[in-house]
Amino acid sequence: MADLRDQKLAVRLRREWPAYVYLLPVSAVLLLLNAYPIAYTIYISMTDFGTGGRGSLLSYHYIGLSNYLDTFTTGSSTFVTLVGNSFFWAGGCVALFLLVGLGLASVLNQPIRGKSIYRTLILLPWAFPAFITILVWANMWGYQFGIVNAMLATVGVAPVNWVLSTPDAAWAALFITNVWLSFPFYTVVFLATMQAIPKDLYEAAAIDGAGSFSQFLRITLPYLRPTIVFVGLMGFLFTFNNFYPIYLITNGGPGISTQIFITESYNDAFGAHGATPLYSIAAMYSVLDFLIIIALTVVVIWQTDLTRNWLK
Amino acid sequence: MRTRRGRRWIRLAKRVASHVVLILACLFALFPIYFIAVTSFSALPIASITAHVLLPNPSLLTTASYNAILFHQSPSFLSLLENSLIFAGSSAAIGLALAAFTGFALSKFNFPGRRAFVYFILLISLFPSVLLVIPFYFMFANLGLIDTYLGLIIPYSAGAVVFSGILVKNYMDSIPDDIEEAALVDGMSRTQAFFRVLIPLCYPVLGLAAFLAFIGPYTDYALAHVFITSSDKWTLALGIYTLNSSDTGSMPYGLVTAFAIVMSLPIVVAYIVFQRYIVGGLTLGAVRG
Repeated sequence: MADLRDQKLAVRLRREWPAYVYLLPVSAVLLLLNAYPIAYTIYISMTDFGTGGRGSLLSYHYIGLSNYLDTFTTGSSTFVTLVGNSFFWAGGCVALFLLVGLGLASVLNQPIRGKSIYRTLILLPWAFPAFITILVWANMWGYQFGIVNAMLATVGVAPVNWVLSTPDAAWAALFITNVWLSFPFYTVVFLATMQAIPKDLYEAAAIDGAGSFSQFLRITLPYLRPTIVFVGLMGFLFTFNNFYPIYLITNGGPGISTQIFITESYNDAFGAHGATPLYSIAAMYSVLDFLIIIALTVVVIWQTDLTRNWLK
Repeated sequence: MRTRRGRRWIRLAKRVASHVVLILACLFALFPIYFIAVTSFSALPIASITAHVLLPNPSLLTTASYNAILFHQSPSFLSLLENSLIFAGSSAAIGLALAAFTGFALSKFNFPGRRAFVYFILLISLFPSVLLVIPFYFMFANLGLIDTYLGLIIPYSAGAVVFSGILVKNYMDSIPDDIEEAALVDGMSRTQAFFRVLIPLCYPVLGLAAFLAFIGPYTDYALAHVFITSSDKWTLALGIYTLNSSDTGSMPYGLVTAFAIVMSLPIVVAYIVFQRYIVGGLTLGAVRG
């Protein structure tokens, strides 16, 4: 039996060996530029690099899990805030993406005049690189000269200090900006899925006297379920580590009330204002972020056919 | 009679409501773009620009901001553009080759260890790429590659490789094996069949992979901010960030938005020309049935 398997393996190797040659460059890249740096990050997170009083390249020591233990005990309020913010950010955004995307897609899915014009215009934010439009949004939320406050002033609303006054205002600015960046994608994906639903299902339902709301509930929603689960979970994973909206608009403020793992980590290492770089703390938050993402991905693989397609 | 008229009213009200919702969505989608365009052509003191955006006065439109960022800026716009094109262009070329090879190996070969490899790249790609900057900083400092072109091109090339590789694989899966087999019957080797038959069939997805590999470095701030110290290697992304945070003069939004327009232009043009492939390629994987 084992002999047979060895023989089969040998036959397979003889036929399939070129795959290894094709994968050689990408394997080198992944090992040197991903696997090694990840291992290096884990190592740095177990040192006093930057926190030992000497933030120099050469003088740091291995201290085991001390950073982690400190974070879970004495520094746990920061950690709890970061966990809460990261999940609130990703969960809140995904809920809005699904709501807006499903709503607009179902409106666009009717026989309506000017449908393709609407679709094209809704997709336009996509044409602009996100980094650039986020910078412009950051200006639009400006307290003194921002266009949002100027427009609110025309209807008599006092200017809001979106970024620096209250966590609610900061989150509102972040959520609205991120919905602007993402709703075209969700609308198009849901519209494409809806258009694949057989029309006679609706005709049969209409003959049976079902109104459009109950048609949506009984036909559209069940049909969309796999897509909703898939893009919802993938959107959650992506948003959890979506760096630029928070970094460029609030940079975690006011205080750390909108700080998430990825911005906290980057700021600890390369923060502005000449602060001492806390490399070991930054590395630790990277590792914690990575572990949370791995756990979430296990859920995604379990709930969707993500890897089935890859392994096919 | 009365109910029929009632139904017609409901249908009309529904149609009107649908248009209202869609028009509001379009206004939301378009307003920031409109804001960028109008502001970039308005060299006005900042306090009066907001009124001008809401109700533009044609006689106040000017190209002064474009003139300022294109010709009167240090480092020069041309130098920023050149560096961005060097970084993004070479990363796109290398990333494209990597994605093509990876997609081919994963799609058309059933080699021992394939499953393990797929799980390996999935696991590795979960680490947030922005946070790779921290270990990269020390690795590349040890190699003396900080503030060099090579030191940025290497990490940039690896940026989109897993995502693009899977994208190419999924596309190649849809190409029937018969096509490759016919090429083999004609006497080609598998390598020849890959380059002469499969690659041309994959142009749309390879174009998308190149586009994604280009746009990453083109709009990267996180890595460039840490790796580039001398201003002659500054990129457009560093340029617009610095302009945005430092310029508190009389018309900063004009400069930032003019910069945003010029910097976005190549991407917007590419997007409009290849819209079908980009939207199709990025949404196809998400539509489940």
